[in-house]
Amino acid sequence: MAKITDNTRNEVKETVYSFFIEECEVDASALNDQTNIIRDMDGDSLMFLELIEIFKKKYQLNIELKTIGKYVVKHPAETVGELIDMTMLIIEHENRIVNLE
Amino acid sequence: MERVVVTGMSLITSLGLNLEENWANLVAGKSGVSKITLFDASECETRIAAEIPASFDAMWGAYIKKRSADQMTRITKACFVCAKEAVNQSGINFEEQDKSRCAVILGVVTTANTSSEKNPQLQTRILKSMNNAMSAWISLEYKLEGPNFTVASACASSAYAIGLGYDMIRSGAADVVIVGGADSIVNKEEIEGFNHLYALSTENDVPEKASKPFSRNRDGFVIGEGAGVLILESEASAKARNATILAEIAGYAITSEAYNIMAPMKDGEGIAQTIAKALKNSRTDIAQVDYINAHGTSTMLNDKYETMAIKKVFGERAYAIPISSSKSMIGHTIGAAGAIELIITIQSINKGIVTPTINLDEPDPELDLDYVANVARNHTINCALSNSFAFGGHNAVLVVKKYL
Repeated sequence: MAKITDNTRNEVKETVYSFFIEECEVDASALNDQTNIIRDMDGDSLMFLELIEIFKKKYQLNIELKTIGKYVVKHPAETVGELIDMTMLIIEHENRIVNLE
Repeated sequence: MERVVVTGMSLITSLGLNLEENWANLVAGKSGVSKITLFDASECETRIAAEIPASFDAMWGAYIKKRSADQMTRITKACFVCAKEAVNQSGINFEEQDKSRCAVILGVVTTANTSSEKNPQLQTRILKSMNNAMSAWISLEYKLEGPNFTVASACASSAYAIGLGYDMIRSGAADVVIVGGADSIVNKEEIEGFNHLYALSTENDVPEKASKPFSRNRDGFVIGEGAGVLILESEASAKARNATILAEIAGYAITSEAYNIMAPMKDGEGIAQTIAKALKNSRTDIAQVDYINAHGTSTMLNDKYETMAIKKVFGERAYAIPISSSKSMIGHTIGAAGAIELIITIQSINKGIVTPTINLDEPDPELDLDYVANVARNHTINCALSNSFAFGGHNAVLVVKKYL
């Protein structure tokens, strides 16, 4: 399990925002936690996998995508804010995220 | 039954990245064939192809978002760019259309082109190589909710796609269908494979002279890259929005020879049957046909049998119809050929110019029709045929007419 500090959420948010600004070619001013990834930014589901790979390396997480997939089916993240929240849970719980309700 | 018209079209070939550039080079009789640059072909028997100009890499960024581009191969990008250009030319605003009645049907043999795609990422491998990628991206771009799919019938693929699009509109199932195709098989595996079938020209020393349909010394086709997209629309839809109508698709025929996996039926019998069916389907008399854009691959059998088939169907009139092969200049664009050559045919109708068959310096005594040797010709065309034939016995003939 990665060590979560006060700064972790800020790091995650900054990474997620930078990722979408770069990949979706959107202006930073048009992006907020309520932005819908597919509807508002023409994003795609592959982006989530790419972000997980980034965080897996950054925080040396012990996770498997199929485990996260089981959680995502029950708790889909449609907005940028929801994605950040989910990322925080993944960092905190790693593979045990599947046990969360 | 709805009349089916063309309201937009665009193409990318070795001779250019848009319709105007291609047309100017085709009329000038230029060849797009050169040494292969997409991979190291030094070990291949054939080392030439008609590749899309390298300047395409600096062009597509204006049409495709970076994120989407990362999930496309270069030929999917070419098809996407063509579709955007064709839609722009048509002036259609899909926001004002019933999107459930707008479809995309494209012909393609493969989008993968594996060995010439650099740095393939595992996460995008499937998305890049899936055969339906082109139609899917175009549907996504315009949020079209009618069916989108690809048709694979080898070198007749995009001609089949156009025929199916025609049927959808004619039957009232759709108002607008984006049709066409794109292909790139300039990679080591395909070149070697076709070499083992003795299908490709091996005239590597003078690439621009290698594709020489209907000539006595023809020695096979030259692989070309390309994309061609047309906007098919019901006449009612086009008129309702005051669109410029470029031509009418009058009918078509698709058939199977059920003879041989590679060779055409002896004496062009299957080809003749397909031409005859297309004429009947489009209610066209042989006297009305002013031009034939031949399949004209530059292989011994195709050119001979296509000529025999035209003679069978048209009799003495065959000698009065100009026939030319675009492949002499742009190579064989495989799954894209039917669409690209239909676009060239429509342009010929509207410009009153027949593009030439270049490299026809040594006529084959057996092939004695008017192949518009080497030089373009002014010619009034009200009705034309575009032929496509393929390994597997897939034949397609499209009939296109000046819109009156």
